[in-house]
Amino acid sequence: MKPPVLCCRHVTKRYGKFTALKDLSLEVYEGEIFALLGPNGAGKSTLIHCITGLAKQTQGSIEVLGFDTVNDFRTTRRLVGLVPQEIGYDPFFTPLESLMIQMGLMGVEPNRSRAESLLETFALSDKRDAYTRTLSGGMKRRLLVAKALVHDPRLLFLDEPTSGVDVELRRELWQEVEDLRTAGTTIVLTTHYIEEAEKLADRIGILHKGELLLVESRESLLERHGGRSLEEIYLELIHKADGRHAA
Amino acid sequence: MSTIALKTLFLKEVRRFSKVWLQTVLSPLVTTSLYFLVFGVALGSRLREISGVPYIQFVVPGLVMMTMIRDSFLNTSSSLFQSKINGTITDILVAPIGALEMVLAYVGAAMIRAIIVGTLVYLVALSFTWFPLHDIGWTLFFTIFVTATLALLGMIAALWAEKFDHLAIFPNFVLLPLAFLGGVFYSIDLLPEPWNTVSRLNPLLYMVNGLRYGFLGVADVSPVTSAGVVLVSFLVVLGAASALLRSGYNLRS
Ligand SMILES: Nc1ncnc2c1ncn2[C@@H]1O[C@H](COP(=O)(O)OP(=O)(O)O)[C@@H](O)[C@H]1O
Ligand SMILES: [Mg+2]
Repeated sequence: MKPPVLCCRHVTKRYGKFTALKDLSLEVYEGEIFALLGPNGAGKSTLIHCITGLAKQTQGSIEVLGFDTVNDFRTTRRLVGLVPQEIGYDPFFTPLESLMIQMGLMGVEPNRSRAESLLETFALSDKRDAYTRTLSGGMKRRLLVAKALVHDPRLLFLDEPTSGVDVELRRELWQEVEDLRTAGTTIVLTTHYIEEAEKLADRIGILHKGELLLVESRESLLERHGGRSLEEIYLELIHKADGRHAA
Repeated sequence: MSTIALKTLFLKEVRRFSKVWLQTVLSPLVTTSLYFLVFGVALGSRLREISGVPYIQFVVPGLVMMTMIRDSFLNTSSSLFQSKINGTITDILVAPIGALEMVLAYVGAAMIRAIIVGTLVYLVALSFTWFPLHDIGWTLFFTIFVTATLALLGMIAALWAEKFDHLAIFPNFVLLPLAFLGGVFYSIDLLPEPWNTVSRLNPLLYMVNGLRYGFLGVADVSPVTSAGVVLVSFLVVLGAASALLRSGYNLRS
């Protein structure tokens, strides 16, 4: 088996007294699409934030291709891309400028033809010189994906990329995710559309109240539960865990 | 350190204020020039001399310093605060950018803006009352270290602030009064005790008087004393801003 691209060891994250992640360990392997499922507030974004530098874990360590995300943050951040859950955009810059700036911030020499080809890929070419605020919600989301790719990350995080997105764009994003994987990018996505995970993911992790209930390949998970849908399996696990918490 | 990232962040900050130059350059230039016209040109003709120089010249370094203090503070504080609020700070937080690059880029851009406005105010004043710079060395020293200090203070304020109201406290309720009381328009030698001594507790007094010495060769305090106060202030805010950025205070949850 290939060495893991991502390795989280005993990661705990507390916000004050509240524990958002409890002693979580997880490995993600090169070239796979890993789907992290879980109800709202399970800690999916928190985990991604600890890996990408938006938050700092309270305990435990995280490595990307063997580099520690705290001590070797300059190396790991070059390897990782993030499409955040919240749409943020800079009103001062156009899509083309935003991409050029993001390249530079990621430590890559800004390259206009690379920026233009990304705009092309995400169907934003005719908006490249528009004020970003005049873009539709779907366009802004596509710009966020393009921004996350400017430095050719080896490991890409998509945090609920399809929430609030129409069917057409959702299909387009799924296609893009498949293409990226084919090109060798490892992908971790969070979602609460179970259907999305069922369609895309090689492996699935279910997170609930800061704990991983299960990590398993999609195939073996579906096989083990003979003929039931992923949604049924998911709901049963969550309900069982809720019962355990209540007890 | 990533020099590409540093250069990009610095240029991004410069472009940010250049794109809204009406607000970031022209507006402070007009406001400060009005102060100069009212106090320096109109009233100054009656006041004649302070500390042995014509009043119209006496107010010039004070006004230049006042606008540079305000503009360098406003540049870092509003830029950093806005990106915190609109979420674009994420772009920097996920990038291989350390505290050092953030400080250099934000402070550098703020200094450029402040120095542009300061120079323009000076040129407006020169068109009314020509006088040569007394000492270019002290002028540069105070310009550089004061703008850097206020830019760092602006970063600290932006990190601390949670809403726009918090941020507005500083320029309006701290910097403006302290600049006025720091002798922009008068020499503190004109003040009776205890106000003369109280005025000496105000760090902005040393910034204003330092630049006044550089411009005109007169000041209420010696340039060496002013330089000492400015340097200590600079080092304190540099240490504080670096520590806050390194800890991720109000940036990385
Ligand atoms: N900055 C923060 N401060 C305090 N609590 C937080 C913060 N960020 C997230 N949380 C809490 O941590 C839990 C997990 O949140 P999150 O990771 O966003 O969940 P998910 O992405 O799975 O919906 C939630 O209860 C949330 O309220
Ligand atoms: Mg989330």
